[in-house]
Amino acid sequence: MRTTVIVTALGPDNHGLLAQVATTVAEQNANVDDVSQTVSNGMFTMIMFVSFDQGETTIAELKDALEATGERIGLQIHVQHENIFKFMHRI
Amino acid sequence: MVFITAQEILETVTMIRSENLDVRTVTMGICLDDCAAGDRRRTAERIHAKIVRRAGRLVEVAEELQRKYGVPIVNKRVSVTPIAEVVAGDDPAAYVEVAHALDAAAEEVGIDFLGGFSALVQKGFTRGDAALIEAIPDAIGATRRVCSSVNVASTRAGINMDAVLRMADVILAVSRRTAEEDSIGCAKIVVFCNAPEDNPFMAGAMHGSGEAECSINVAISGPGVVRNVVAANPDASFIELADLIKRTTFKITRVGELIAQEASQMLGAELGIIDLSLAPTPAVGDSIAEILESMGLEAAGAPGTTAALALLNDAVKKGGTMATSSTGGLSGAFIPVSEDKAMARAAADGRLPIEKLEAMTAVCSLGLDMIVVPGDISRDALAGTIADVMAIGMVNSKTTGARLIPAAGKGLGDWVELGGLFGAGPVMKVSAAANSAFVRRGGRIPPPLQSLTN
Repeated sequence: MRTTVIVTALGPDNHGLLAQVATTVAEQNANVDDVSQTVSNGMFTMIMFVSFDQGETTIAELKDALEATGERIGLQIHVQHENIFKFMHRI
Repeated sequence: MVFITAQEILETVTMIRSENLDVRTVTMGICLDDCAAGDRRRTAERIHAKIVRRAGRLVEVAEELQRKYGVPIVNKRVSVTPIAEVVAGDDPAAYVEVAHALDAAAEEVGIDFLGGFSALVQKGFTRGDAALIEAIPDAIGATRRVCSSVNVASTRAGINMDAVLRMADVILAVSRRTAEEDSIGCAKIVVFCNAPEDNPFMAGAMHGSGEAECSINVAISGPGVVRNVVAANPDASFIELADLIKRTTFKITRVGELIAQEASQMLGAELGIIDLSLAPTPAVGDSIAEILESMGLEAAGAPGTTAALALLNDAVKKGGTMATSSTGGLSGAFIPVSEDKAMARAAADGRLPIEKLEAMTAVCSLGLDMIVVPGDISRDALAGTIADVMAIGMVNSKTTGARLIPAAGKGLGDWVELGGLFGAGPVMKVSAAANSAFVRRGGRIPPPLQSLTN
């Protein structure tokens, strides 16, 4: 079964932030299904829907890789299974 | 794919990252009825083996869910059948031996606290109950992870005042036994009225006789989330305020429901209950008193505090109940003084006396909780204070509890550091008016009439 996680990133804007996050996702054999990003008052905010099949990667591996990328490029990156958002905001 | 808006995603992330939304505890309740054996050593061994077998993966599963959903699961704990019902002998040493087995099992499965060194004596003592109560000072004094609770009152049975006096003795004995650590042992003892059988919170957690073989009970908490919603709406009317809190609590509670569903499935346990509690921690922004302040009170204890707490408590329950398949436990806003920095500050300033906290007990969960009192408090003053809390629970058909800490060697004006999640608080004044002729009458205070409610 395909797993969908939601990746959120927040931090000061810089060149190539989205590209580096997307590259890490690709390196983890996961797919970007949807992405939105804005820059407001110099703050970069990104929401990315990422999916993968069992065997391609795991949430733990993806999370570790993205958090390491975030640390390197100055972003707080969070990876969460989509169900937490569905449960909280949809009945 | 279910459509979720960017605003909703960021709201969830903010709740977790900035407002201290967390799953306060995933507690596995384990029935120990089948562990009773002829001799105490075998009983202790069987108890140890069963806890390790059932809860061996509890921490691993909780950590996996924490990674998956990005929400902190702060505590992983175990509650067991009240030990007085399992051991059922009249030798206190047997109970102490079982307490050591519980402590060893808790350590082996990697949890910090295990609850259920308990007895229910609201109507009277069995020989086992009496022996367990006698064993509490040794059991708590000699273990690190074991928590004890004794139910001394109920709406149907009244208040067993003999048990109240014995528990005052027990608390003072534990205070002396753990004097070098500011009597911290007393933080692991709760005296209850109408104790719930499915409470996931320590120190009062137990796995009651009406529960399944093994169940998962989850407590969710987010005082900071509620505080921010309240603070962002300073002009909301009371009805609007209650609505805002209900909506927020609904969202918070859904996280608990999700974790409970998955944890129970992964651990092969029944889904027990979600405890809809707002439980503070000593961290700034994780405080019930700060919610009250955001409602417009200068500090907890200001006139109107009980009314504000009543509104908050009711809205939390209304919002949460709709979000879960099964609610239970202590469900409500907690007021543990040492664990809530703003509340401890108000108590130290003299703006929140113990009598006001007692009044607040009538409208929220749980009672006089984590309150430091002078180390030289008399047994009768302690018993009277406990009896007052029990009376509020008994008459109002609600759970109340007393977790009082007579800090050995400390008096009024002293500040006591209990450490970690137990926090810190001032030594609070208890009336010195004599009460011995009352509390020592013996027997039970009868249960209240359930009609003519005024």
